[in-house]
Order: sequence, then C-alpha cells, then structure tokens
Amino acid sequence: MRYAILLLGGPYSAQAAHSALRFARAVLARGHRLEGVFFYHDGVQNAARLMAPPQDEPHLVDGWVGLNAEQGVPLMVCIAAALRRGLMDEREATRHGKQGHSVEAPFELTGLGQLVDLGLGCDRLVTFGP
Amino acid sequence: MTDVPPYHGDLLVILRHGPHGSSLLREGLDAALVAAAFGRDVSLLFMGEGISALVRDQQVGPLGQKGTAATLQMLEMYDIDRLLVDGEGLAGLGLAPRDLMLPVEVLDSSAMAVQPKVHRLVLTF
Amino acid sequence: MLLHILNRSPLSSLVYRQAIATMGTEDRLLLIEDGVQGALPTLVRHFEALEGRLFALREDLVARGLAGKCDASVQVVDVDGFVELTEEAERTVSWY
Repeated sequence: MRYAILLLGGPYSAQAAHSALRFARAVLARGHRLEGVFFYHDGVQNAARLMAPPQDEPHLVDGWVGLNAEQGVPLMVCIAAALRRGLMDEREATRHGKQGHSVEAPFELTGLGQLVDLGLGCDRLVTFGP
Repeated sequence: MTDVPPYHGDLLVILRHGPHGSSLLREGLDAALVAAAFGRDVSLLFMGEGISALVRDQQVGPLGQKGTAATLQMLEMYDIDRLLVDGEGLAGLGLAPRDLMLPVEVLDSSAMAVQPKVHRLVLTF
Repeated sequence: MLLHILNRSPLSSLVYRQAIATMGTEDRLLLIEDGVQGALPTLVRHFEALEGRLFALREDLVARGLAGKCDASVQVVDVDGFVELTEEAERTVSWY
C-alpha cells in the first residue's frame, strides 16, 4: 500500500515525532511504500538544520534524513508554517534578507497543495498530533 | 469493505480548537482553503471549542493578531459551503445557529458518527 | 471500518469523547502515547461503548511502566500491529 504521514508535533516537546518515525520504519518494514512525510503546524520544527540534542537522545533530523537516504521518502515542509517559525532554506533566506538558513535538503519547503495531493493520492494517511 | 458509503466529499477537516488560543484553527482552515482552491470538495466539521470560531463579532487580538473570522468569511468564495456543527457542542456553549456568523448544518449524534466515513480523507486540527 | 487514534489520557483531556462521538459501530480506537493510560482498569470505563474495539500500543505502555496493567478488554498491539490496524481500516482519524 501507499502510505503518507502528517506530522504536527514539534521535536522533543511532544512524542509525536518519535511516534511518527517509528511508525514510518514499521510501514516500510512491512513492505509498504511511504510516499512522503508532510511537516505542518509545530511539526515543521523537525526540519531545523541546527538541531543538536544530547548524544544519548535520538537525533530526529538524522532519523528523517535516514528515511530519505535509505528509502527515498520525500520530506515536505509547509512553507507558510515554516517561515512564521523561523525555518527557511537558503533560497528563502536570501529572499527575506536573512543571514544563514535553518532548513536544508533533503527537507523541501512546499505548499499545502502537496499535503492535499499526498493525502488524497495515497491509500493511507496517518496524522501524528502534538 | 463490504458496503462503500456514498461520499459527501473529498476532504473532511475537523476543527476542534478556537480562534486566537493556538494556530491549529487557522492552519486547519488554510488546509481546507488550499484543498478547495485545487478543486477538491471540502466539508468542515466544527466540534467543541472549535465551534467558537463561528461566533459573531470577533476582533483582532490586542497586538493585531489576525484571528480567523476574516478567513471564515472567505469560505463561500472558495465554494466551501458544507459547514457542519456538532449539536451537542453548540448547546454546550449555550449557542444557537442564529448566534453564528455563517449558516451551518447542526448534526445530531447519529449524523456525527457517519461524517468520517463519507469523506475520502479526514484531517483533524 | 475506520481506525481512530488517540494520544491523550482521559485524565487530561475530553477529546476522547469527541473521538467516540464520530465513531461508527464497526470503527476501532487505538490508544497511543499518553492515551495508553485509558487502558487501565480504572479508566477503561470511559471507552465501554467500544467493547472489543479498543487497542493500546505496547511500546507506549512499556515505556510508561504500564505493560501488564491493562484491562483484559483492551487488545495490546506493537507498532507492527499498529500498521496492520491501518491496513485493515479504510482510513485513519487522529485525535490529540
């Protein structure tokens, strides 16, 4: 089956991201396809490039990046929710006259239309709330 | 999977949070508007605290926070006209449909229980 | 049949009532994260309308020291079982 995940919970402040990552791995282990993870609401903070948790805690960005590297899972971040929260890639940083950037590939800033397409295009969308 | 119900729409957005207190209501409405702009058939279901989104006479916040009343006024323009309200929740707030800024369909408990079934995708905010 | 997913304890949030209110007679409810508290014998009465359709996620029970403390009416599944529940359901609805 084709799965998708909508993540609304921020990293380390809610369990949502850990639950979603674990669910994603279980979906793939059962032979399904994961068409994408969409980050929205506080979930966009999972894309923070500078995330630096203590070494004895799971590194969420590394977890998401691993999912993309191993299985090619697209990591889609709502651009409107991200910009409000200070999350932007190099292109947006330039556009907004900011020094430095807080989001990088394989995370991609995209619009909510992608969430709609993902949700209606896949067989199962599972939301992990804050 | 024996009986496929007749679909009422592509997307059901359940709104459980009120205006101003968090961004969930606004972000839920944004998802609904984008889906409608992409030609999808969208229903909104207001439950509990989320029903307060429809109360008349809302203002911007003291720092100019926009709230969601203006967005709700745009729903018609986006052809989102299926606005469903949990009847029990409405009564819980001491409100009647005439207290709301938009015409709504008030659902009893049996109608509530079928809504997620008759839409292809359900998002809760 | 739909799968509803709840991550809040009935001790902290009434969202479980909204979940139950939108559930059809075949639908299932899976308790995850803090929601697994609802599987305790003292709290499971809040879900009595769902007899036989209530599930709880094992990993979240274990992490909270609640494994083995669930009411007998609750079906405990691991994350693999979580995915299986989503396979069997036409779609999922999350409550938080």
